[in-house]
Amino acid sequence: MKRIQLLALSLAMSLMLTSLAFAGPTVKIGNILPLSGPSASVGQQGKQAREMAIEEINAAGGIKSLGGAKIEMLYADSKSDPNVGVTAAERFINTEKVNVITGAWNSGVTYPSTAVAERYGVPYIVPVSVRDTITERGFKNVFRIAAKDSWWARDQFTFLKDMEKETGEKLSTVAFVYENGDWGTGFVTQWKKLVENSGYKVVLDEPYPSTATDLTPVVNKIRRARPDVLMLVSNAADAILLTNTLADYKVSPKVIIGSGGGHADPTFISGCGENARYVFDIVEWETDVNKAGAKEVNEAYKKRYGSNLTGEAVDAYLAMYVLADALERAGSLDPAAIRKALSKTDYTSGRGMIATYDSVQFDATGQNKNAAMSVVQINDIGKGLERITVWPKPARRAGYTPVFPMPKK
Amino acid sequence: MDLVFFAQDCINGVLMGLIYGLVALGLTLIFGVLKVINFAHGSFIMVGMYVSYWAVTLTGLHPYLALGIIVPAMFLFGYWIQNLLIRPIFIAERDVREPITVIVVTTGMWYVLDNLALLVFGPDYRALSPNPLKGQMLNFGEIFISVPKLYGAAAAVATAGLLFWFLQKTRMGRAIRATSLDRDAASLMGINQWKIFNIAMGIGTAVAGVAGAVLTPFYNVYPTVGIPFDVKSFVIVVLGGLGSIWGALVGGVIIGLVESIGPIFMTSTWTEAIVYGLFLLVLFVKPSGLFGQKHDW
Repeated sequence: MKRIQLLALSLAMSLMLTSLAFAGPTVKIGNILPLSGPSASVGQQGKQAREMAIEEINAAGGIKSLGGAKIEMLYADSKSDPNVGVTAAERFINTEKVNVITGAWNSGVTYPSTAVAERYGVPYIVPVSVRDTITERGFKNVFRIAAKDSWWARDQFTFLKDMEKETGEKLSTVAFVYENGDWGTGFVTQWKKLVENSGYKVVLDEPYPSTATDLTPVVNKIRRARPDVLMLVSNAADAILLTNTLADYKVSPKVIIGSGGGHADPTFISGCGENARYVFDIVEWETDVNKAGAKEVNEAYKKRYGSNLTGEAVDAYLAMYVLADALERAGSLDPAAIRKALSKTDYTSGRGMIATYDSVQFDATGQNKNAAMSVVQINDIGKGLERITVWPKPARRAGYTPVFPMPKK
Repeated sequence: MDLVFFAQDCINGVLMGLIYGLVALGLTLIFGVLKVINFAHGSFIMVGMYVSYWAVTLTGLHPYLALGIIVPAMFLFGYWIQNLLIRPIFIAERDVREPITVIVVTTGMWYVLDNLALLVFGPDYRALSPNPLKGQMLNFGEIFISVPKLYGAAAAVATAGLLFWFLQKTRMGRAIRATSLDRDAASLMGINQWKIFNIAMGIGTAVAGVAGAVLTPFYNVYPTVGIPFDVKSFVIVVLGGLGSIWGALVGGVIIGLVESIGPIFMTSTWTEAIVYGLFLLVLFVKPSGLFGQKHDW
């Protein structure tokens, strides 16, 4: 009998404690992520970064304008399946009554699940999903933090223009050399659009099969065309083969720039060695980025989860701070008020601002208009070959001067 | 200027073509003797490349000196595969000269070998080190000749010559040819056909090992590296004639030249179309290939 009394007492006490802890209002955030299936690893990175950010925000007193409201996170596994994503969005809105949704990494899941949120008028924050059209449907409740697909190509050209200005080096001709799959040809469609207004002349437009066993003929064509800038879209094996063959034939354009993919593969540097030196590559984020707090956040993340931050994790982390900032300004849990606060976002400093660009401001479509990629250069400055952030200039690694143009071979 | 580039592309085409010929040589030999269509040939090349990679990395030898390790190792590998995996099928289908089941077995070997390599070595793209041939170029004005490819082309011709001499002049070579003509008659003449099969497979695999040693100085090693070479080898072998040693080299050079000179006139993706078009044309017009026997034995 006594034991039952004790049990009842402790139960009542614990109930009291919980109700005490949740005294203020809570903000419920529903997160749709690929936590299993083919994209599970990025999904987990996104979840980890979110959890770390929200713990920090809650520990710092929650949302003060809402009486110190704590943020409660709910997760749904999309399994990278659009249907599962749509069901999760419906459930979050109708059953869980969440205030905000975030997700969903896979563009295929984000695209239909944002439509659900739009229908119910619930704000939906997309940290990263690259498909352009996600923010091009006139939706009012969708806000994307990261750059969209077509901006990769845009930023490669912006980088070239900025570097021309910075170094006084004049570039006039470009060569497009790319793998002939969906990815390569899609990229080049963007390049062709952009090159028209850039003032550069295209001297070579050469697709090649990614499974090529010999790229010497392609390299000879590049030699003949003598471009100032060589722009590449390559998978791993061909990126290595191309870079080595270019070096063998002493082809040295002023600039070689990759488009992620094979050039970002960890084996690219080991497979090419010295030949990879001075090659530029476009990327979302690199651990050496020169931003206040980036190092500390990366250290904290690494301590918790054992790996460095990735582009996906950085976007998710930033998204939580942008959301907290908007909630603070909204001072209400009314979806319309949160939406309005989000649309007026101007997040320039604070612990979350560790992305390479300067601030988060949404345009009328809900796209962060300041989002941008960054460019790294592969070089050896005493610690072996590594990827060094060079652009945008404010994010450049302290003390590094990019080698531009690359020295003649 | 243009002529210089044309010459440049021709030289590269011939060198690369001879190397393609060497890559296809093992396939044509295994077909010629065993009548086995070896779908795992690309994987044999892959194994050859990994064996070369490790032989050079662990001993620090020059890749061509490491052939002393690579060739016997690959011979034993092929001998063992034939003895353990393919012989049982020949025994089970004793009455059939070209057992179809073997195709299934070699396809299985292809998957097992590629995935085993992935499991053991990981997906990394490995570059040979130490690599004394890396990036070596002979320079004649505007014309560059890649030294590792020059070595490779020489090795291709030497290997083909040696193989030809071996099959024509030695007692073992004659026994192999006899077995390839008629298994039963050869057996009646006192030739142990199983031993001959094992040896022929061993030699074919050893040649794949030579190809691996030739490729590693200028090509990265990774688990699926065999696949592009596999497809190319089949085209070359059909072009040159199944079972013909010199046909393999000529077929290789034709493909090499198309791949190298083609891009002067079109984008390099189109050269693949030409290669496969040529392949179909040969099948239509001269199914036995350029140097193949017209009549089945």
